[in-house]
Amino acid sequence: MQSANMLLKKIVRSSVLPFAAQHGVKKDLFPLSRTLNLSLCMKQDNSCSPSEKLDLDAWKKVMKSGLQEVNETVSECKEPATLAAARETLEMWRLAGKSVPENITEEQLKTFIECTSKSAQKKYLRYLHLKELHKKNDKRKMEEKRERRLEAQEQASETGVTKKNSFICLWANSMDKVCNWRAAQSMVFGQPLVFDMSFEKDMSLREVTNTVRQIVLSESTNRRSTDPFHIHFCNFKDNSLYHKEFIKHYRGAWDKLLITVTDQCYTEVFPKEKLIYLTADSPKVMKTFDHNKIYIVGSMVDRNIKTGVSLARAKRLGLETAALPLEKYLLWNTGAKNLTLDQMMHILLTLKDTGDWKKALEFVPKRKYCGFVNKPVHELKKTLSLINTLKLGKRQEEVREQFAKNYSKKQT
Amino acid sequence: MALFSQTSLHGFQALLWKCRMLSPISGCPQLFAVSFSIPSREKFNCFSFMTSSSAALPVGPKGAGVVPSKKRSEIDYEEKAWDKKAKEVSEGKPHSSSSVTAPKKELLTHALLKHQFTSVQPPEKPLQAEEWNRLREGFQSPEVFEEVMLNSMVKHNSPIDVAKSLLTYVAKSYGDIEYKLLVKYLVLCVQQRQASEILDVHDIMKGRFKILESGAYSLIIRGLSNSDQWRMALTILEEVKKITIPSRTHYESCIKAASRHQEMNLAFELYHEMLANNLVPTLDVLQAFFDFSRGMKGAELQKELFGVLLYLRDNQLYPHKTFMQSIKLWFESIPEGNWRGHLTNIKESGQCPVCNHQLEDSSLTEEEYNNLREKIIRDVIHGTDTFRKTSPQEFEAFQKFVENRLPFDIVIDGLNVSHINAKKMQCENLFNAVNYLAKKNTRLLVLGRKHMLINSSNWKRKIMEEMQTKAHFFFAENISEDDAFLLYATLRSGKHCKFVTRDFLRDHKACLSDSPTRHLFRKWQRGCQIAFSPSAEGKHIHFLPALRYDCVVQTTGDTWHIPYKDFFEEKYSYQVPRKWLCIQQK
Repeated sequence: MQSANMLLKKIVRSSVLPFAAQHGVKKDLFPLSRTLNLSLCMKQDNSCSPSEKLDLDAWKKVMKSGLQEVNETVSECKEPATLAAARETLEMWRLAGKSVPENITEEQLKTFIECTSKSAQKKYLRYLHLKELHKKNDKRKMEEKRERRLEAQEQASETGVTKKNSFICLWANSMDKVCNWRAAQSMVFGQPLVFDMSFEKDMSLREVTNTVRQIVLSESTNRRSTDPFHIHFCNFKDNSLYHKEFIKHYRGAWDKLLITVTDQCYTEVFPKEKLIYLTADSPKVMKTFDHNKIYIVGSMVDRNIKTGVSLARAKRLGLETAALPLEKYLLWNTGAKNLTLDQMMHILLTLKDTGDWKKALEFVPKRKYCGFVNKPVHELKKTLSLINTLKLGKRQEEVREQFAKNYSKKQT
Repeated sequence: MALFSQTSLHGFQALLWKCRMLSPISGCPQLFAVSFSIPSREKFNCFSFMTSSSAALPVGPKGAGVVPSKKRSEIDYEEKAWDKKAKEVSEGKPHSSSSVTAPKKELLTHALLKHQFTSVQPPEKPLQAEEWNRLREGFQSPEVFEEVMLNSMVKHNSPIDVAKSLLTYVAKSYGDIEYKLLVKYLVLCVQQRQASEILDVHDIMKGRFKILESGAYSLIIRGLSNSDQWRMALTILEEVKKITIPSRTHYESCIKAASRHQEMNLAFELYHEMLANNLVPTLDVLQAFFDFSRGMKGAELQKELFGVLLYLRDNQLYPHKTFMQSIKLWFESIPEGNWRGHLTNIKESGQCPVCNHQLEDSSLTEEEYNNLREKIIRDVIHGTDTFRKTSPQEFEAFQKFVENRLPFDIVIDGLNVSHINAKKMQCENLFNAVNYLAKKNTRLLVLGRKHMLINSSNWKRKIMEEMQTKAHFFFAENISEDDAFLLYATLRSGKHCKFVTRDFLRDHKACLSDSPTRHLFRKWQRGCQIAFSPSAEGKHIHFLPALRYDCVVQTTGDTWHIPYKDFFEEKYSYQVPRKWLCIQQK
């Protein structure tokens, strides 16, 4: 192999000369340019001399001379061969300018190796990469903030003004206490709201983590509201993925949460006729918020939309179902009609407090609708078509069809 | 948030224009940041946001639309390209993009590399280090200078010496060259077929880095396989094998190189290795086999190429026109083969007009039939949860219903048929279809949903009752899927049974778990589906009979029939080509 390479190189070297000669011939094909910038060409001719030619390959020499130094930096071989190989591959990808994290833990590497396809690997790496970037930025911002605060403190100490205040600053603490009292009250008197935790097997690990994050957000929203729900986690299995993720988020606070967690089904906890399962696939549309009913929200994130999974649950148990009246109140534009769990929580809390659909549906992401329905449909149609003619990349017919579908005479 | 509506387009544009001019407008709560072009100023399209998220941007008291920073910076670049006239307008625009977060920045640099710096002209002759240095100093963002420069060299296909001089400059100033730059240099070498350079770079990379990544490998392999040194590409393929499974592009280059040099055995060896690794060969590779073995002798080779044709058959692939030509020419070039190829269209009856050979029947074997039925019940009807498409009680009731009335000749998707003519009542459409199909003394089953039974403007009870004397009806729950029942009833009735729907059944095909079953499903669908279309005047319905023959590559030993597409582009999986290549041996 080595000797063959050497031979090849020799051949290559010898083939440089004819190549250079050709190059020279090519130059002679353009006498015009030669006369135009003669002085430049004189220089150019000099630079085409063989001594300069060698100079062109100088980078190869530099690279080869740098070898000995580089080879000293051998990575510690603590890991098994497959992991080490994967680590090396990642390093090369990073050097090639792909979205790859700089540092990767052994756990993440194992996940990476277990990816079933190349595209899955790419997606996972990109996700880690972005995560890393966000982390770095947060760190940077924190440091900047700290510096600013220190500066402000210095300035304050220079002026030496101290304000008199009748309150001791314990805001966060006392706020927490107030919230907990309210939550405790809701545990006794509040309207129940059920999160159905039976979708674990329908989700990937990433979807489960997203779900748990959304539930944590909704729980905190609920705690801070004036009149919280009494939250139930039903069908909750101990040591399930959900459980592990919750522990990650709440740590010690998990056992002190003022919610009811049970492995029973909601049908065993509550009377069946009171339950309403909220799902976007439901044929029935919610008209008003009923304070005597118990609403169930399926805790599931479906990145690729799995139609009818939660509706199937409700059908199986013979429960009433309902969907939010999004079409009725919003001029829907784009995106799926399944909302995130924290958005659901906001909407339900607002409905409970005010009963005002318009206020409640403010929490639907703005990108998904063009506005509230407050005029006759034909006028809206005009506006929508106007917006869409102005917008690029939206085909007219498509929009019209969608509109027709959304606002056709509802068939009984 | 109120919807802002303006009756005339002109007024709307004028308003947007004003907002852009940053005159605060009270009573304008909304500004739709949508792209538009103003006829008088064609250059002015800075609002070209492609996303819908910016469909409504609130206008603050300052009057400047709150533009997402990333987009704003994009606009900034565009602005530079504007002419002076438009520049006056953008004067008042804030130019800060400091709020861009780093990930966005990261993404931005890519965008920058892509389109902002494409205007960079690479020098035409090798430069000295100080000249490069001067250029670099003058560049907007020096940290990506080398990358951008090499990119534009690739784009403009600069002479390789220029790139070398840049690399030399980099090596001299930093003592090392980034992997990224080496790869870009490789691209340039591959573009210009500099085999020796490619080998050199490969050696350097090998010495400098333990392993390479697939991008560089595929460049090296591609570059070498297009040169006289193509055997080196094979050794490098072996190198790749030590690290990972080579990708299909790696194999593709090597196979093409081997075929080009008439080493058919080697090419087929690689091809089988590729199949063993579950890689799907591109049609290009398959075409190369036929192209380069033209006129060659050998029973072994023939067998291999027939094997390729059977591969097309098994995977229901259709060659495109040029590939088909290669196949035809190869057949005709076989010494003492006496093959003749003709392009033709197959008759409705499934007979080839050239050789009068009857094409394969589209009906499934008993075993395939039962297999498909089982799979459809398991995957399509039940799936993960029976309640998703129906309910166990309902499915059981339906099964009983079907068993008691077997066999049907035609199963109709009632709701699908009823929508054929929007001007008529839905029940009228259905009535016409049922009438037309019932004339021939066939046993019909119409599937519908329960809401059809309620008397309404679209479903008149009288007509419904009259229909029920002519056909069997089954009404599913309103939230059930009627298509799944359609499939089941058809499959249960046996081979002669056809079904009527305009649906392509794509979603049901997607429920099936493995690809052989999917192919089976498509084959069955082609043979059993009666599609229909409204006639021109909308008075009655045209029914298109199901295909009698199977649309795959097929052979009888002394004839081959190969369906082909007109173009390379992908056709839908439910469409089959109508054109055939008929090859027969005299």
